[in-house]
Amino acid sequence: MTIVNFIIYLMTMMGIYSLLAMSLNFQVGVTGLINFGQVAFFCIGSYTSALLVVKAGMPIFVGFLGAMALSGIMGYVMSIPTKSLKTDYWAIATLASGEIIRLIALNEDWLTAGPFGVMGIPQILKGIISKDAYPFFYLLFVVACIGVVYFLLNLLTNSPFGRNLKAVRDEEELCLSLGKNIQNLKLKSMVVAGMVAGLAGALFTFYIAYISPENFRPIETFLMWAMIIVGGRGNHAGAIVGAVVIQLFNVSTRFLAGYVPLSTESMGSLRMFIIGLLIIVFLLYRPEGLIKEKKKIYK
Amino acid sequence: MEISQIIINSLVRGAELSLLAIGLTMVFDILKFANFAHPDYAILGAFFAYLFNRVMGVNLLLAVILAALLTGIVGILIDQAIFKRLRMIGAKPVTLMIASMGTAIALRNLMRLIWTSHTKTYAIPIRKPLEILGARTTPLQIWIIIAGVLSMIAFHLLLHRTTFGKALRAISDNSELASACAIDSEKMIRWMWFVASAYGVLGGCMIAMEHLLYPRLGFNIIIPVFCATILGGIGNPYGAMVGALILAFAENIVLAFDFSLLFNLGGMFDIKSLYVNTGYKPAISFAILIVVLLFKPTGILGKK
Repeated sequence: MTIVNFIIYLMTMMGIYSLLAMSLNFQVGVTGLINFGQVAFFCIGSYTSALLVVKAGMPIFVGFLGAMALSGIMGYVMSIPTKSLKTDYWAIATLASGEIIRLIALNEDWLTAGPFGVMGIPQILKGIISKDAYPFFYLLFVVACIGVVYFLLNLLTNSPFGRNLKAVRDEEELCLSLGKNIQNLKLKSMVVAGMVAGLAGALFTFYIAYISPENFRPIETFLMWAMIIVGGRGNHAGAIVGAVVIQLFNVSTRFLAGYVPLSTESMGSLRMFIIGLLIIVFLLYRPEGLIKEKKKIYK
Repeated sequence: MEISQIIINSLVRGAELSLLAIGLTMVFDILKFANFAHPDYAILGAFFAYLFNRVMGVNLLLAVILAALLTGIVGILIDQAIFKRLRMIGAKPVTLMIASMGTAIALRNLMRLIWTSHTKTYAIPIRKPLEILGARTTPLQIWIIIAGVLSMIAFHLLLHRTTFGKALRAISDNSELASACAIDSEKMIRWMWFVASAYGVLGGCMIAMEHLLYPRLGFNIIIPVFCATILGGIGNPYGAMVGALILAFAENIVLAFDFSLLFNLGGMFDIKSLYVNTGYKPAISFAILIVVLLFKPTGILGKK
C-alpha cells in the first residue's frame, strides 16, 4: 500500500467514525442519553446493507436505505425503556442490547454466516471508476455524506426541536413541567441518531467489502465515547474533531510498531490503555472537550 | 442434564457472582454510580493471585487472600486518583459512571499489556471428580461453595457487628444525618472501596480457577454481575446474593430445558427437541437484565 492510498484509507475511516461519533453525540451531547450500546446501530447498519445486497440481490442504494431504516427502528426500540428507567439503568441495558445484537450476528449462521462473516460485498460504481481513482472517489463520497449529515444535524440541533432536546438534557423536570412530551423527544432523538449510525454502517460495509462480528465488539462503542469526550459534547464539530484525533492516534501508533520493542498485541493493548486514560484525564481536567459547546443566550 | 447437576452448577455460579455483586451494590448505593470497572478490579486481583501462586510459589489460598488485600488497596488508590477528584469538582454520578468505563478499559488493557491475552491457570492439583446424587463435581467446586458461604457470613458480621458496617449503613440510610453524627464519610468510603474490591477478588479468583484466567474475563462477567445486583435491588447486599443465585439457576435451567415440551402444547405439534443454542449463554443474563429493568427496576427485594 502506497503512502497516498494509506492516507486516503485513514481519512475514509476517520469519516465513517465521524458519522458514528456525531450520532453518539446527538444522543449523549444533545439529548443526554447515555448509550453504551452504540455499536448495535453500527452492526445493524452494516449487516442490513450487506445482506440486502449479497443475499437478497438488491441494488446498493436499497442497502443504504435499508440500513438507515432498520437502525432507525433499533433506535425506536432502544428508546422505549427510557420512559421507566433512570439514566444509569438505561446505560446498562444499552450495553446489554449491544452485545445481544452481536451475539445474534455470531450465532444465526443461516442469516449472517456466523463468525465467518459476509463476503463478496459489491462496491458502488466499481465498474465505472478506474481502480486507481476508486479510493479517492469513495473518500469524496464519505465526505459528502458527512457534509449532508453535519448540515442536517446542525439544522435539527438549532431548531426548536433541538432546543427542546437540550432542555431534556439539562433540566428534565423543568421540561416536564412545561408540558413537553419528553418520551417523544427522546424517541425522535434516538431514531435520528440510529439512522446516522446506520448510514455509517452501510458506508463501512461497502468500503471494506467484508464484515464479521469481530468488527462490532463493544470496544468500538468506547472508541466512539473517547471521540466525543475528547472532541467535546453538544456540538457536532467536536464529534468530528474527536473522531479525527482518536483515529489518528489509533492508526499512527501502528507506524511506531517497527521502532518500539513491543509486539503487535502489546501495542494494541497500550493504545487502548492510553485511550482509557484519555477519557479519564479529559473528564477530570477538560470536561467540555477540545471544542466547547457554544451556549446561546436568548434574550 | 440431571437436576442435581443443575443445582451444583448453579450454586457454584451463584457463589461466584454474589461475591462480585455485593461490592458493586455497596458502591452503587453509597456513591450513586454504576462502577463498570468493578469486574475488572476482580480480574486484576485474580492476576495478582496468579502472580503470587504461579510465579512466587505461594500457597493458593494464601495467594488469593494476599491478592484480595492488595486489590483492596488498589481500589482505594483508584478512588483517590479518579472518583474522589470527580466528586470534589461536583461531577454528576453519570460522569463518574463514564469515568469508570474509562478506568475499566485502561485496567483491562494494562492487564493485557502485562500478562498478554493467553489464558492462565493456577496451580490446582487435578483430582478425580466426585459424584454427589448423580451429579459430577470437583473438590474445587465444593470449596467454592463453602468459601462463598463463609464469605457471606463474614460480610454479614462486618455489616452488623463492626463500627464500619454500622457507619456504612447509616450513610446509606441518610448521608446528611450520618455526617451530622460525626461519621467521617470519606474514611468510610475508603473502607468501602477496600471491602468491595477485596470481595470482588474472591469472586474473580473463583471464576478464574473454575474456568481460565484472561484479561477480557472482566468484561465477560460485567452483565451477569450487574444483572444479579439489579435483580436483588441496588443497595441491598442480601438481595445481591439472592439475585446472583436466581440468575445462576436461570442460566443453567434455560440451557438445560427442552423447549419443545412448551411449544408442542401437549402434542399439538411434533417438534423433536428444541434447546437454546449454547452460543446464547451470555445473552440469558442480558435478557433477564432487560426484563427486570423493564418490569421491576427496584429489584426483587427492594432496598430494605
